[in-house]
This record gives sequence, structure tokens and C-alpha cells, in this order.
Amino acid sequence: MRPGIRAADLRRKGLRARIVLGYAAGTLLVSIVLVCVTFLLARSYLLDQREASLTRQAFADANVLDSRLATAGTEVGDVLDELVPSGGADVVLHSGGSWYSSSLDVGARDVPGELRELVATEPAASAVVDTADGPRLIVGVTLPSADVEFYELAPLTELQQVLSTLAAVLGAGALAATAAGTAFGVWAGRRAVQPLEQVAGAATRIAGGALATRLPATDDPDLVGIVASFNSMVDALAARIERDARFVGDVSHELRSPLTTLVTSVEVLGARREELSPRGREALGMVEGELTRFRRTLDDLLQLARLDGAAVTESAQPVCLATLVRQVLADSDRPAELLRVPADADTTVRGDKTSLERAVRNLLDNADRHAGGPSAVAVERRDGAVLVTVDDAGPGVAAADRERVFERFARGPRAARRSLPGAGLGLAIVAETAARHGGAAWCADGPDGGARFTLSVPAVPS
Amino acid sequence: MALRLLVVEDDDHIRTALRWALEDEGYDVAEAGSGEEALQAVAVSAPDLMVVDLMLGSMDGVDVIRQVRRALDVPIIVVSARADTSDIETALDAGADDYVTKPFAVKEITARLRALRRRVGPAAVDHLDEVVLDRDPAAPLVLREARGTVHRGEEQLPLTLTEFRLLCELAAAPGRVFSRQALLERVWQHGFFGDERLVDVHVRRLRTKVERDPSAPRVVVTVRGLGYRLDLQ
Repeated sequence: MRPGIRAADLRRKGLRARIVLGYAAGTLLVSIVLVCVTFLLARSYLLDQREASLTRQAFADANVLDSRLATAGTEVGDVLDELVPSGGADVVLHSGGSWYSSSLDVGARDVPGELRELVATEPAASAVVDTADGPRLIVGVTLPSADVEFYELAPLTELQQVLSTLAAVLGAGALAATAAGTAFGVWAGRRAVQPLEQVAGAATRIAGGALATRLPATDDPDLVGIVASFNSMVDALAARIERDARFVGDVSHELRSPLTTLVTSVEVLGARREELSPRGREALGMVEGELTRFRRTLDDLLQLARLDGAAVTESAQPVCLATLVRQVLADSDRPAELLRVPADADTTVRGDKTSLERAVRNLLDNADRHAGGPSAVAVERRDGAVLVTVDDAGPGVAAADRERVFERFARGPRAARRSLPGAGLGLAIVAETAARHGGAAWCADGPDGGARFTLSVPAVPS
Repeated sequence: MALRLLVVEDDDHIRTALRWALEDEGYDVAEAGSGEEALQAVAVSAPDLMVVDLMLGSMDGVDVIRQVRRALDVPIIVVSARADTSDIETALDAGADDYVTKPFAVKEITARLRALRRRVGPAAVDHLDEVVLDRDPAAPLVLREARGTVHRGEEQLPLTLTEFRLLCELAAAPGRVFSRQALLERVWQHGFFGDERLVDVHVRRLRTKVERDPSAPRVVVTVRGLGYRLDLQ
């Protein structure tokens, strides 16, 4: 059971993780695209704005320069001082083979050759250049009348700052969106897996014997189909189990009437044993033995059918296992000294007295059959369960057979010789009784050299 | 004189074998192969004990028990092929005293028959001459164990032997709680693994006869999880 559950757990986590991952990756991708587009659009818009205003300014300044130069004798250098471009822009111009600059920070080195070529043909051109103190936008116009190339350089640091702030804000937004997407993914994953968990829970309960378990009806169109087919599967399963159990019950029942006649007639015959010849007496003894065995097998089959059918809860009542085991020992004429019970142990469980008695008796009978009788019997309370252990001094059970012996019609090597009664249902009844009570039955090496069979039933909390 | 026992069983083989075996045990056995035959046999000469199969064809065992109970306080043992059905409870409700499941050893039946024939239980000693269970001024409920009667006012109540013995066991120690187990051992002489439903069904039947209001019992009281107790009113 355990590994199966663990594997299911992993798969469940896997699906959920996939959903979360999907949502996270999706939101991340979408927000990255949005951030990039927004950033690029904003950047080109701001740059365009800046360029337009710088171009306007360049034309205005160039006009001023032009009109000053028209006045005879005015030197370019003088006029430069008068030009005070706004926004910290500087002016560089090329006139008559020489370069002039309004500031020491900028000069001919900052004017790229391509721009000069463009300016030669276009009325105005612009470019972004890296200067010693940061990037600058440079706009060039020509004054053909005065043979002057006029360049205005505006620093872009401010724009750069705006853009980096924008980038930071957008990045943070993208991260927040991704986080929100992940959170949504977690929620959606949980929602998506919830019906599966319900199905798993229901399946576990059904496997535990609660055949009346059904999934609650739903109006979720995605789940209606699953719920309906799950429930009809359980219906079919329950019907089949019931049919099987009824069949075994019916067969056993049909066998009971002839068996009653047989048992009773043989009893009548047994009372007249002396009238029989020695051979007749021998034959009668054999019939009696086989009848006992027949009866026990039939009882076992019926008991199994009963265990398959109803859950224990119907007939559950508090049962003191120590008392029960003591009683079984007494009823089967075994010495009471076999039993060891810790003095202060509360060995009360909730269960069906008759089937628990049957299970204990089967453990003792099993020791009789395979190991010449039990060597010690103990009832103790350990970790919330009451354990009934039956030790024997027989050959023990090989490790490979320790699960198989609890299967129906499994037989030990000695019983295979048909010399001893028992159809191999006894331990199956023990195992099924334990399972029906929410407990377990197992077999291990015993302290007396033989096997130790243990029946464990959950204790009533004290 | 041998006790007369009526075996009601529709399976010829079982009936015959059962007759042989019970005759071996010293009973005077009469047979009935159907419900109708059984009622006829009872009408002709009342048996001391009855063994009744539940499945009898046209008229089933429960009906037979119900009809016989109207006239006779005869110990009845039900024989059933199924131990875990409601049939048994129905049969006990109808008035059967005990049951065995097929296949049974005849010794099981004879042991039960002996238990049912016992007149007084071990705890019931003869000083219980007259116990007033309910001091209802209009019609007091009086148990006279030695005489084997229970009266409400002038009227004698029709308790079966088993119901009477159950009442005597409880009345032997008023106020004391008897576990179902203890009652099962004392009244039916069943061992530890007897069916406690026997006690419950008989207490239910007893109440319909001795209680003023059987749905709110005050004389035979259930002690939850422990058993039953008799309170003198």
C-alpha cells in the first residue's frame, strides 16, 4: 500500500507543479513582452520629442547666427558667445574650414562623419553620440548662404534617467505580475487537483470496505462525467462483490442441509459403535473425521463470505481481547498458563466478538497443525493497538512464504500431505478479520525457534 | 416419563435423522413435515419441547411459533441454516427461546433443551416468595417465583418460561446491573461466545408484558453499554 500512495502523491504534486509552472512562465513571458514594447515605445517617443525640440532650437539658433553673420565683419567666435541654447545644449560649428565650439566639453571630435555627410545633403540631420560626459543628441543644420555647418549637442543624461526609472518601474511590475500569476497558478492547481483528491479519498475508503462510498453529485460540467463514471464503476464493483459473497453464502447454505443429515446420522451411528465390526468402526471414525473437516471448511467459507459482505461496524462492541483469548483457551481445553498478559494492560478493542474469537481460534489451530501446538500466547497493548501473539516451536515459516500463508487455500508443506485437517482458510480468515477491524496480521520468527503469528487490532483509546 | 418433543422440519432426511438422534437421547419424538402438520400435532397433544426449522415451505417457522405461543408456554428452539440473518431475530421476537444453526451436533440441541427446561436459575433462591415489582395502586405487578406466576392486579401475565426466568434473575438483585453475558450464562447456559441478541430480544418481549408503557420501560431498565437492571417501582 505505502509505496503506491507515495507514488500517487508524487504524481499529484507533479500535476500541481506543472500548473503552477505554466502560469508563472506565461505571466513572465507576457509581462516581459509588455515591458519591452512599452519601454521601447516610450524611449523612441521621448527621443523623438527631444530631437524635434532640439531641431527647432537648432534652426532658431542657426537663423540668429545667420543674421549676425550677415552683418559685415562679425566673427563666428563672437556670435557663438551670444548664442545661449536652452537645456544645457552646446553648439559646434564648422565654418570656412575651422571648427568653433561654445564649450570646451564639446568639439569637432564629437561630430561623426556620417552626420556631416547627411547634413551636406539634407536640411537637417540628427544622431546620438557618446561624448566624454555621457551620451548626447546632436542635430546638424547647414547655412549654405554662409557656408556654415551648425551642430547643436544636447545632453541625454536626463532622458536616460527618466528611461532607467521607467525601466525599473516596468521591471518591478513584471515581477509583481509573475508573482501574482504564480500565486494564481497555485490556487488554480489546487482547484484542479481537488476533485482528484476527492476521487483518491473515495477510492481509499472503498478499498477499505466502505462500499457505500460515492462521490457527491456536482454541477461542474467538467466533472460530471468523471463523477458519474466513477460512481457507476463503484456500483458495478459493489454489485459484483455482493454477488460473489451471496454466491458463496448460497452454496454454503445449500450444503448445510445434507451436512446436517450427515452429522446427525453419523452421531446416531456413533452411539451404536459397539454394534459395528472393527472395520466398520474404523470407517465410521474416518467419516467422523472428514465430516468435522467438511464442517469446518464450510464454516470458514461462510465466515469469509460474511467478512466480505458487511463491515464490522454493524456489530461492533467493546471486546476485551485478554478475556477473549483466555476464554478461547479454556473452550479448547488448553492450559491457561500459556497466556501472558501484562498486569495493567487495557486490551479493549471495538469489534465483532464472534469473528475475533474465530480469528484467535484459527491462530491456535494453525499452531496445532503445523507446529504441534502453541508454545506461548500473549496479549499486550502497544502503540495504540492490541496485539495477540501466538508463538510455536515448530519449523517456522520461510521468509518467502510469510505473506502467502495468509492467502485463501494456502497450505503449509505438512498439510499438503493430507494427514492433517484444514483447507487453508484459517489464516485467511485471521487476515481478513484483522483488515475488517482496521488492523493487520503477520508472521515472523518466534522466540521459541518456530513462528510467531501476530494479530493486531486498533485499541480503544484509554 | 420421557419428555415429548415435536420436531418441525420439512427436510425428510434431516427430520428422520434428528428423530433417531433425539430418541437416542431419551426423548419421545413426534415429527411434523410442515407448519400445518405442526399446528395439528400441537392441538392434538401439547409437546413439552419443540424444535422448529425456519424454512418450511408454505407456512414458515415464524408463523408456527407465533401461533403456538398464543396457546402454549413450551420451550422452542429454532433451527436455521443461516446464523447472521434477521430471520433469527424475527423468530425470537415471535416467541422462540433459543436457536442453533445448521449443521449442528445433536448434543448442542439437547444441551439447550436441558437449559430451557430448568425450572429455576441458580441465583433464584426460594426466599423470593413474593416480590412486588411495581406498586401501581390500581394493579400492582407481583412476581411469585415459587409458584411461577406474575400478576398485574388480578390478571396473570402470560410469560414464557424463558421470560419468567429472565425476570427472576433480574429480580434476585433489584438495582444491580446484569451484563448480557451474565444473563446469557444464567438463563440460557450459553458460554462466553453466545449470541447476546437472545437477551435483547427476550428483554424486549418481557417489557411488552410487564411494563406499563413498553416504549418507556421503568421496571426492566437498559444500562447503556453494561446490560440490564431491574428497578422496583
